[in-house]
Amino acid sequence: MVLLPKGNPVKENANPGKINLPGALEKLQAGKFSGYLRFDFPAATGVIIFEQGRLISSLLEDGRERLIAYDAIAAIFEQSLEGRGRLDVYRLSPELALSVHVLLHGDLLYKGQELKLIDIKLLLARLKELAITGCLRIYTGDRVALIFYREGTPLGFFHDGSTAIETTADTSMSVARLPGAKIDVLTTKGVGEGMLADLLSSADLSALWKRIQDARRPEPEPVAAAVPPVAAPPVVDPAAREAERREVLLEAWRQIAMRHLGKIGGSLVEKEFEKNLGSVIDDASLAVFFERLGKGARLVAGHGKVNGMLEEMEHLAQDKL
Amino acid sequence: MDFSGLQVVLWLVAGLVSFYFSIGNARVWTSIAVGFFLILFGELLPQAMPFLPGTSIPQVEAMGHIISTIAILVMSHGFQEYYVFSRTLELEGDKRQVYLVTLAVIFASQIFIFINPAPNAETLRTIRIVGNTNWVFLSLINIDLIRKIYLNVKDSPIGKGFLAFIAVFVCIFLWKGSELYIQVYRLDLPAVMQAYPVRYQISQITHLVGNLLASLSVGGTFLYLAKLLR
Repeated sequence: MVLLPKGNPVKENANPGKINLPGALEKLQAGKFSGYLRFDFPAATGVIIFEQGRLISSLLEDGRERLIAYDAIAAIFEQSLEGRGRLDVYRLSPELALSVHVLLHGDLLYKGQELKLIDIKLLLARLKELAITGCLRIYTGDRVALIFYREGTPLGFFHDGSTAIETTADTSMSVARLPGAKIDVLTTKGVGEGMLADLLSSADLSALWKRIQDARRPEPEPVAAAVPPVAAPPVVDPAAREAERREVLLEAWRQIAMRHLGKIGGSLVEKEFEKNLGSVIDDASLAVFFERLGKGARLVAGHGKVNGMLEEMEHLAQDKL
Repeated sequence: MDFSGLQVVLWLVAGLVSFYFSIGNARVWTSIAVGFFLILFGELLPQAMPFLPGTSIPQVEAMGHIISTIAILVMSHGFQEYYVFSRTLELEGDKRQVYLVTLAVIFASQIFIFINPAPNAETLRTIRIVGNTNWVFLSLINIDLIRKIYLNVKDSPIGKGFLAFIAVFVCIFLWKGSELYIQVYRLDLPAVMQAYPVRYQISQITHLVGNLLASLSVGGTFLYLAKLLR
C-alpha cells in the first residue's frame, strides 16, 4: 500500500484503461506538470511522479514485489488495460514532487507504530539526535500527513489538499489525533533537483503501450485447410475491447478534424473527447461533444467547413458505435 | 488630398465584417468587433465629418479621444482571449458582458468628463497623448500576441488571417506612433517645426500614410477573413 496525501486534485476517479496513457503522459510533460498520478488496481498501487514536466519516478507495489522505473510503467500500463483500475492525478509544487519521489524510494525505519503507544516527544528528540533526513508519515484508514525532516530539523508539513510543503501543523496534527492513527518513520538520501533522468525522454512509451495492447489481443484463429473446426469464440476482455474501440474512434475523429482545421482541430477533438466522452458514449454525451467541438471550431474556421467536418464525424460515429 | 471619407468607409467595412464573425461565435470576436467599431465612432467619424453636431464641444471631443482609447483596450482584450483559446482551447464568458462592460466604461468616462471643468486645449492634448501612448504600446504587445496566436493556429483556415492582423497593427503603430512623436516633442509648434522641418515632415507623412494604410489593411483583413471563413 502506497500512502501519500492528496495534493491539489487535477483529475480523480478516472479509468486508466479508457485513457491513452502515453499521450496523457506526454501532455503532462508538455504542460511542465509537477505532481503525481496514482493508480489503484485491485491488488497493486502505482505512482508516477512528475517534476516540472520530467517523469522522474515510477513505482508499483503489490505487496509481494516492488517495481520501479520502466518495469513499473510497463506493469502500470498492463494493469490499466485490464480496465479495473482507478486513476487520480494530483498537482504538487516541484519541490514537494521531488520530496515525494525521495520518500517513495527511502527506507522504512519504523513501520505502523500505534501513535498512542509511543512517546512521540522521545521519537522526535531521537530523530534530531540522529540527524535524520526523511519524514514521519502519520495516517489513519483514509487520511495521511507527512512531516519532512532534514538532518533532524523539521522542514514542513504535507497533508491532503496541500500543493507545497506547509509550515503550519494544524491539519497534519489533526490526523495524529484521530483514533487508530499510526506512524511510519522513513529515512531518505536527498536527491537534488535536476539529478534525476526524465524517463519519458529516454524511452518510447507509446511503443510499449502498443506492445502491451497487441499482446492482450487474442491470437487470430489459424486458417483451416478444409473444414473449419468448431471452436468456442475467442475470449476478449470487454473493457480492453471498449478501450480499443474508443481509441480507434478518437484517432479517426482526430484525423478528420486535422484535415479540416489543422493541428488545433486534433487538439480540440482530444480535449472535448476527454471532457465529454471520458466515461460514457451515449446520444446525450455525443450531442454535447459535437456542440462544444463546433463552438470551438468556429473560432478557426467558417460555418460551412465546421458543419462539413461535424457531419463527417457524425457519420463515422454512426458506423463505429 | 483628403482620404477621410475613404477611411471611414474602410473602417466601417472592418467593423461590419467583424460583427458578422461575432454572430453565433464566442465573445472573442465581439471584443474585436466592438474595438474596431469604437475607432470608427470615437475618432474617424468626427475627423471625417467635422460638421456633425457637437463635435466642436470640448467635452464631446474629449469623449472622442477616450472612446478611441477604449477601442484599443477592448480590441486587445479580444486578442488576449483568442490567445488564451489557442493555448488552452477553453471558451469562456458571455458576449453580453463585453457589450455591457464597454458601455459601462463609456458611461463612467462620460460622467467623469461632465463632472469636471470643460477641458481646455492643453487638457485635450494630454488626453490625446494618453490615448496615443496606449495605442502605441498595445499595438506592439498585440503584434507579439498575434504572432503567438498565428504559431498556434497557422495550419487552420483562419491562420493566414492573423498574419494580416500583424500588418494592421504595424500600420496602426506607424499611424499612432508618429502622432505621439509629434506631440511629445511639440513638433507641431511653429518654432519647433521651423527648427526641425524634416522631422516634422517625415512624422506628418508617416502619420497620414499610416492612418490610410491602417484603414486599408483593416478593411482588407476583414474581407480576407470573410473569404477564409466562408
